[in-house]
Amino acid sequence: MTRQIRLGSVFNTLLKEYTIVIGIMVLVLITSIVEPRFMTSGNMINIMRQFGPLILVALGMTFVILAGFIDLSVTGQLFLVAVIVMKLIDPIGQIPAMLVGVAFGGLFGYFNSKVIIFSGALTQAEALFITYGLSTAYIGIGQMISNGKTMNMSIDLTSSYSMFQYVGLGFIGPFSISFVIFLVAIVILYFFQSKTYMGRSVMLTGGNKTAARIAGIPIYRSITIVYMICGIMTAIGAIVFMSRATTVTSAMSIGLETDVILAVVLGGTYLGGGRGSVLRTIIGALIVILISNCMNLLGITIFWQDITRGAILIIAIWLDAQKNN
Amino acid sequence: MDNKNNNIILSIQDVEKSFPGVKALDQVSIEIERGEVHGLVGENGAGKSTLMKILSGVLKKDAGTIIFDGAVVHHTSPVESQRMGMSIIYQELNLVHTMSVGENVFLGRFKEMGGMRGTHTKAKTLLDSIGANLDTYQLVDELSVSEKQMVEIAKALSFESKLIIMDEPSSSLTQDEMDKLIAVIKQLKEKGITIIYISHKLDEIFELCNRVTIMRDGHVIDTQLTTDITRNEMIAKMVGRTIENEFPERPKCDGEVLLEVKSLNTHKLKNVSFELRKGEILGFVGLVGAGRTEIVRAIFGADQVKGHEILIDGKVVKIKNPKDAMNAGLALVTEDRKQQGLVLSFTVEKNVSMASLDRLSKFGILNKSKEKDMAQRQVKGLNVKTPTILTKVSSLSGGNQQKVVLGGWLETGPRVLILDEPTRGIDVGAKYEIYLLMKEIAESGGAIILISSELPEVLNMSNRVLTVYEGRITGEFDPLKTTPDHIMRNALGMGEEEQNNDQAN
Repeated sequence: MTRQIRLGSVFNTLLKEYTIVIGIMVLVLITSIVEPRFMTSGNMINIMRQFGPLILVALGMTFVILAGFIDLSVTGQLFLVAVIVMKLIDPIGQIPAMLVGVAFGGLFGYFNSKVIIFSGALTQAEALFITYGLSTAYIGIGQMISNGKTMNMSIDLTSSYSMFQYVGLGFIGPFSISFVIFLVAIVILYFFQSKTYMGRSVMLTGGNKTAARIAGIPIYRSITIVYMICGIMTAIGAIVFMSRATTVTSAMSIGLETDVILAVVLGGTYLGGGRGSVLRTIIGALIVILISNCMNLLGITIFWQDITRGAILIIAIWLDAQKNN
Repeated sequence: MDNKNNNIILSIQDVEKSFPGVKALDQVSIEIERGEVHGLVGENGAGKSTLMKILSGVLKKDAGTIIFDGAVVHHTSPVESQRMGMSIIYQELNLVHTMSVGENVFLGRFKEMGGMRGTHTKAKTLLDSIGANLDTYQLVDELSVSEKQMVEIAKALSFESKLIIMDEPSSSLTQDEMDKLIAVIKQLKEKGITIIYISHKLDEIFELCNRVTIMRDGHVIDTQLTTDITRNEMIAKMVGRTIENEFPERPKCDGEVLLEVKSLNTHKLKNVSFELRKGEILGFVGLVGAGRTEIVRAIFGADQVKGHEILIDGKVVKIKNPKDAMNAGLALVTEDRKQQGLVLSFTVEKNVSMASLDRLSKFGILNKSKEKDMAQRQVKGLNVKTPTILTKVSSLSGGNQQKVVLGGWLETGPRVLILDEPTRGIDVGAKYEIYLLMKEIAESGGAIILISSELPEVLNMSNRVLTVYEGRITGEFDPLKTTPDHIMRNALGMGEEEQNNDQAN
């Protein structure tokens, strides 16, 4: 009797913890049975390519959320960095343009954090509105620089963009370049989160800012660092993204913030801060990609895909709140 | 006319409750007589809260019978128990802060009261009947803790409760507010309302209660008339062993000046200056909100303050934030450990190491084995009851959580330890351990600033006491040479004259 109850409750907990993951596995299973194209190597490479930019931005976002904040400006940042890099390829060359782009990512993150710290309230809601506003501004600046036009590498550039072609299409062994970049990033970021003083400071800041500050933890530095990481990762994501698409347009990052937050929350990082891990986000990002891939293969229209994504985000946040109550 | 059965309003018979791995209540039987104030005491984890949760319908009992007012209770929800005439006032009061006093009293029943006007009129009547002079249109957010309690009591009365259970109502009240609460409880008693009064403060139990039930480890140890039991007997039954005294002998202090604070001014504080000597325990006495917490927060750099001067060993130190304060050898155990002292969702280990994190790192990399050693050292040294150092600190009892906070600060090797309400909501055993620790620190050349709303605690632990009233220091006393009354008068701002006389002598 007792044993049965215990097994039941374990099953219940598992079900609660992984409701969405299980649901999506079912979706993947159905797709792979119904749609033979799912299991082809072409589709797998496709999944790996889509995985690249999303996971890079999501890893950055994970830190912002771990610190108890949020960054909606990734949408604007990704576009603006892509525009800047595009504009710099001709004057300074491919690799310098990429490096300057990444530096700009860090700079935008730094700026975001300073605006939030300066606002003084230091809540997630505040950060949500501030970064939303900043995102709009970043898109505006990007539009201004690009004159509102789609920029195309093959048309607008006079110099070669071979490095971008390599990042977009190249492989090292069986892995696409974007996947290799992801592997390097995850090793560094996991080490940062779990083994360093600043990584722990970020977690403590997310867990309880007040207590962390009283204990001498540099909470302002933690906030700045997470936004800078998010900015840098978004910039790297922008370079990978534009390399694959070979065009830059403000449409490129529409809806990015939903997918990124979805990846973090589905992975199981607590939206309120302090609990979670960059490793979890890998699973979350994979799920997000699988959802859209399966829906594409099943011929579900883009409108229904958006509705589904929105619904999954709401359910994920709801379940997250249930779990933490 | 009253037969025996009729005289018992609540009969708890052989109630049992288990949680995974713990038997929280074991064959608990208590009979509460109609119209009495019945004290319920026991250390944290004794089972008081579980029992109350079963009575209110928040938890389900595993076995046993509960008879309330002649009827067997099978209910399962707090609303139902309230309808039967049983109300609980929790330690964390249950009010809507953005609504008015009147609206809170009759929350969700405005129509039955005849709209807003009726609601406010009836709320006023109820509040007046317990002698609480409150404006029913005022927002609850603006009330003090004790005023909020009055609103809760009025709410309980509005349900025509026959039994009101108060769960540690005094834990955040000052002496003055406590006196008011005592008066209200006596009034309720006169009205024939039965009260179960849960508290750690034994003075209150003796003052208020007719009878007292002592619980320990899920068992009822004894139920006695308060006139038939002594304080020490009660403590012995609570902790299961004899504690000779509630307070250890106070350490001697004749050291030189360690910390000097000069002209601390904020919008709330007026020209606060004082000295702290090596080996000294300095007590601050004052009402909640008098500025005691603000003084220590300002010294510690937790709030931004300018213009004051802090000297350590006679040398000026600049303290702009908590980190500076820690570097200067200060440590602050805040009044609210859950909000300001701990990261509740983190492990014991990570909470202990929090304040020492920079010393545990080299080139920005954490030394995990040192961190583990540190946590184990403090858990062992302070006798923290936790399954492992990887247990979440939220699952520990209040006393053990406080030890985790203390352990974290001890690891920073503080010279001045500031304790703001260090024993609030902590059981007798853990309290005594914290007192011993304070004594040990003082004797090894450190110094302690102690803020506490429990007068006996400050007076028995401190070498010297400062009274704080409306942001000013209104007096300095040797607790051995002054009566508690005299000190309280100064803490209430009524002792300036006497103080002048003292100084003249």
